[in-house]
Amino acid sequence: MSTATIVVAVFSLVLAALLALLMIPVLVWLERRVAGLVQDRLGPNRTNVGGFRLGGVVQSFADVIKLVLKGEYYPSHIKMGRWLFMLAPAITFAMALLAFMVIPFADNIVVDGESLRIQALPIESGILWYMAIGAVGIIGIVFGGWLSHNKYSLIGAVRAGAQMIGYELPLGLSVIAIVLTYNTIDFNVMVQWQSGTVLGFLPAWGIIVQPLAAVIFIITLFVETNRAPFSVAEGESEIVAGYMTEYTAMKFAMYFMGEYVAMNTASAVIITMFFGGYQLPWVSTQFLLEHFSIFALVMMPLIPLVVYFVIKWMRKNNRVRETVSTDGGRLFETKVLTIALIAMTVIIELILVYLALQPVGAFSTSIAVTLFQVVIFVVKLMVFNLFFILVRWTLPRFRYDQVQKMGWHYLLPLSLLNIFITALIVVGVS
Amino acid sequence: MDKRIKTVPRYGTGFKDRLYLPAIYEGMKITFKHLKDNVSDSNAIDVLEYPEEQPTDITERYRGLHRLTHREDDTVACVACFMCATACPSNCIFIEATERTDGVDEKMPQRFAIDTLECIFCGYCVEACPCDAIRMDTGIFSLTGNAREDFVLEKEQLLAYKGAFGEEKSIAGK
Repeated sequence: MSTATIVVAVFSLVLAALLALLMIPVLVWLERRVAGLVQDRLGPNRTNVGGFRLGGVVQSFADVIKLVLKGEYYPSHIKMGRWLFMLAPAITFAMALLAFMVIPFADNIVVDGESLRIQALPIESGILWYMAIGAVGIIGIVFGGWLSHNKYSLIGAVRAGAQMIGYELPLGLSVIAIVLTYNTIDFNVMVQWQSGTVLGFLPAWGIIVQPLAAVIFIITLFVETNRAPFSVAEGESEIVAGYMTEYTAMKFAMYFMGEYVAMNTASAVIITMFFGGYQLPWVSTQFLLEHFSIFALVMMPLIPLVVYFVIKWMRKNNRVRETVSTDGGRLFETKVLTIALIAMTVIIELILVYLALQPVGAFSTSIAVTLFQVVIFVVKLMVFNLFFILVRWTLPRFRYDQVQKMGWHYLLPLSLLNIFITALIVVGVS
Repeated sequence: MDKRIKTVPRYGTGFKDRLYLPAIYEGMKITFKHLKDNVSDSNAIDVLEYPEEQPTDITERYRGLHRLTHREDDTVACVACFMCATACPSNCIFIEATERTDGVDEKMPQRFAIDTLECIFCGYCVEACPCDAIRMDTGIFSLTGNAREDFVLEKEQLLAYKGAFGEEKSIAGK
């Protein structure tokens, strides 16, 4: 095993762990903040460390500290399966985390003629791993609800289980149509496939090639992640908190965080399969590698422009209104962040100048391309997480029987039809 | 069909409605517009930056924290008749009566305490009082303390609160 292999593997693993775990506080904060802004409120924006509030994201870290330090409470009526009761949230959390590990964050990097995957778990059957591990997460929910010895918890667990069975079928069937189209079960090859064009000008993204499968897949992933409008397993208006009713402190937080990791994973999978993964539309990795100097020249004016607008937005919004007397350190925070952003821009510009002067095929170029693709991936991931959150604050929850009816009566036949059409076209084309 | 029966047309049976996705799109458009507007100018959101900004819309009818009123000569107006304590649904008023020796009246409270943690701010004590000795017009809506005992307001504290609506000195009956 060469040094490059180890470096790339460690890099991918650290990146995956960071993207999955560090995203939890950001997503919890984003959820609350977006909810507030959608409803014309402000959301959490007060908590700060030395005047730095970063829009309020510090609140999530305070919440985590609170949950960790909370007294452990164990419901006394639970006599049997105590260890499983404690283990159940960890199962859900761990499975959501593991499912994230097969997402490619950038195209394979070639080091000394050896092609290395930027994937925490460098396996070729990514979609199978995701389907298998993603389905195991439900076991944690079922155990938790069952062992709680509580009617509401049991109903929640039953709902989660039944919902899972109802939607795992359309999910799997829509994936079959996609596998037929891409002719692979490797996530990275799927992304590479999407770098082409269809009809001459449209990017060959999954959403354009397989619109029906994309819609079914996105809907089923909403169910799979137990998010609104399909959050009947929690259903706080009917069954208290569903399977989480008897859970407190960090055990509850495990479920709670697992939900966000699952959402993050779902976003990543949707991006990878339907929205071109880590790639920009029309721009393949090969093209980037060959024309990176042109690309760097295009980026050079764009980055300061974006940073300029970010700073302008920050100066406008990171201040208190006139009627409020105390500033709370916002002015100082804006100043420091402005300097940091400008310094960052200057450094990036210098790096871009250096890269633009490199000959075609230089190793530094391929590293730059990899990092650039990671950035694209993260941006797309955030956009999709925002979509998940926005859907939650737009749609009311479905009634439980409607959820079941939709899964079995509409999505299942539709996905079967989709397989049929796809198969006909694939056979016809080849 | 009977004339009193009105048949309500059933909506949502068309293909577009049953598809559900156009409706989701319409809804997302509205929420996204709110999000976009509020992100681009968060100071324009019509909210109160409490506690830096205090509410200005507390009306005279607002049931705030209790206070005890005075007589013309600055003594307590309460005659310790126990009407408020009897009317209180949460039993949070504690009165110890004593004889009044200055000739103004016969009886006065030795101790008059309200446990505001128990109080539900229903205002029955104000209604029950025969001599306008207790009112809830201080306009105070938030009470903080470090211990449970801090929330038991004694007679001296209750007498010290001023009414929020215009008067210099709180005189019973005026």
